[in-house]
Amino acid sequence: MHPILGDPRRLGIYLLLWQLIGLLLTVGLRGETPWTTAAAFFLPLCFLYAFVCLSAWYVCRFYPLEKGARLLNATIVYVVAAAIASGGWVMAGGFWAIALDRFANGFGARQLYEGQQLLLLVVGALLFFLAAAAHYLLIAFQASREAEKRAIELDLLAKEAELKALRAQIDPHFIFNSLHSISALTASDPAAARRMCLLLADFLRETLRLGANSRITLSDELALADRFLAIEQVRLGSRLQIARDTDPTASDCLVPPLLLQPLVENAVVHGIAQLVEGGTIRLAAARDGGTLTITLENPCDPDRSRTRGVGLGLDLLRKRLNTQYGPAHAVVANEQEGRFLVEVRMPAVTAAA
Amino acid sequence: MTEPATSKIHLVIVDDEPLARAILRELLAAHADLQIVAECGNGFEAVKAVSDLKPDLLLLDIQMPKLDGFDVLDLIGTQLPVIFITAYDEYAIKAFEVHAVDYLLKPFSAERLDEALVRARQRIRTKERAPVREIVSAARPDRTPLQRILIRDKADVHVIPVGRIDYVESQDDYVAVKSAGKTYLKEQTLAELETLLDRGAFVRIHRRYILNLSRLARIELAVTDSRIAILGDGTQLPVSRSGYARLRELL
Repeated sequence: MHPILGDPRRLGIYLLLWQLIGLLLTVGLRGETPWTTAAAFFLPLCFLYAFVCLSAWYVCRFYPLEKGARLLNATIVYVVAAAIASGGWVMAGGFWAIALDRFANGFGARQLYEGQQLLLLVVGALLFFLAAAAHYLLIAFQASREAEKRAIELDLLAKEAELKALRAQIDPHFIFNSLHSISALTASDPAAARRMCLLLADFLRETLRLGANSRITLSDELALADRFLAIEQVRLGSRLQIARDTDPTASDCLVPPLLLQPLVENAVVHGIAQLVEGGTIRLAAARDGGTLTITLENPCDPDRSRTRGVGLGLDLLRKRLNTQYGPAHAVVANEQEGRFLVEVRMPAVTAAA
Repeated sequence: MTEPATSKIHLVIVDDEPLARAILRELLAAHADLQIVAECGNGFEAVKAVSDLKPDLLLLDIQMPKLDGFDVLDLIGTQLPVIFITAYDEYAIKAFEVHAVDYLLKPFSAERLDEALVRARQRIRTKERAPVREIVSAARPDRTPLQRILIRDKADVHVIPVGRIDYVESQDDYVAVKSAGKTYLKEQTLAELETLLDRGAFVRIHRRYILNLSRLARIELAVTDSRIAILGDGTQLPVSRSGYARLRELL
């Protein structure tokens, strides 16, 4: 869409500006000609040229202002375009002068025209260049506005993903199952029931507390995962085993809150809980220079019915990391011979840095 | 609760969580007319216990590894009264469709369990029957193609992912599922199985055969107008005229 033609308000301002130029020409090039004649000659001529100069946009679009632009080509094209536009304009000026004189004998338009013909040619070319510059400005303005709009949209998307992630954080079934475990323990092992209550309260409180931050340390995130797994261990008994291998230098790294929680939950709900014999969840974190790598591995039933939950969780994780780190992150998930592995890489950032 | 002590109700508890079994044990101890004859930690054990012990009532968890509660019901295929116990309320309609006695949500109170047991006793006394076939079809109201076939071989259960099926042969009231040289018998008609399998992957090539399309190596003309499907392992199956038409449509 043409930035001026497509917008009636801009077109109005543009044409008004051209009338100003027409007035300037009237004043500047009048010489001995009467005011009325000069105005009758220049104003319509500028009105016409206003539309001719709109065509500069097509040239601008073809030669955008960028690094490594084809400058020589662009210059040649502009000179030719300006020459054609200006030449055509001056020729139209000739016809207009004749028409004016015929309409009112002794008007003197032709005299004015013939006197300023060469100057008009130069002015026309300059005005064309000016119009091209104005178009470039408009294009840049529009591009920045669009970039701004896109940035806002991206930001909104990120916020929405964040919100969904937090909302999806606590699976109600997890709570119902935990409460059922507590209910079972109350009579048989009151001390264990109390421990379970405290674990659950800790987990819920920490989830809310950590979720309110924009970044937390990996050790906080891992502590939350530990609480979750401790609760699930009460429920699943010996079927759930846990192996942790965290590089101490990785613990200080900052991560978006509740980043691992959905993965750990998936590992239990879609992995261990689907196996008759259960298995071991391996959670490892390592820091290699500027990169933090977190891996989570769990056994799974290769014949299980596929649920969409796992894919959605991974999508959400990717979206969150993408808004935080852009292309500097990677989430790789694969399943092989009954083992499900997720590897998350992101820039290693600490609070001190 | 004054049932005659001579005819105790035998029940089986099925839940993959030890604590969930423990609370049932605890609450059921208050009922003198009930006797727990088995506690099962998964669906396989449940099928075995039901076929060995012939209980009167099943207390069945839904979310379990490999075989969930509905799979167990599909396999035991009897009119055994069942009380479902789960943390998920989204299976309530499905449970109703398979004529469950009741549907308990974890955590539940002793009173709520008692209520379910009252209904169960009623069902056992009147010997109310649920139609068997209805159970099987109602268990899959979602119409997604079957992902695996569950086959009960006395007390054992075989889970065969449909991708491992070579072909299925009809044998009267049974279907013989052939997978990697082994044959598994299941009480089902070929027509019924055909409706459950993925129509893009399995073809009824003959009145008596359904073929896994990925096993087909080539089709040969035997005698005039009669064709034979040769499988990757050399097995030969007859192809009827309409079966050939269905095959051509897919290939």
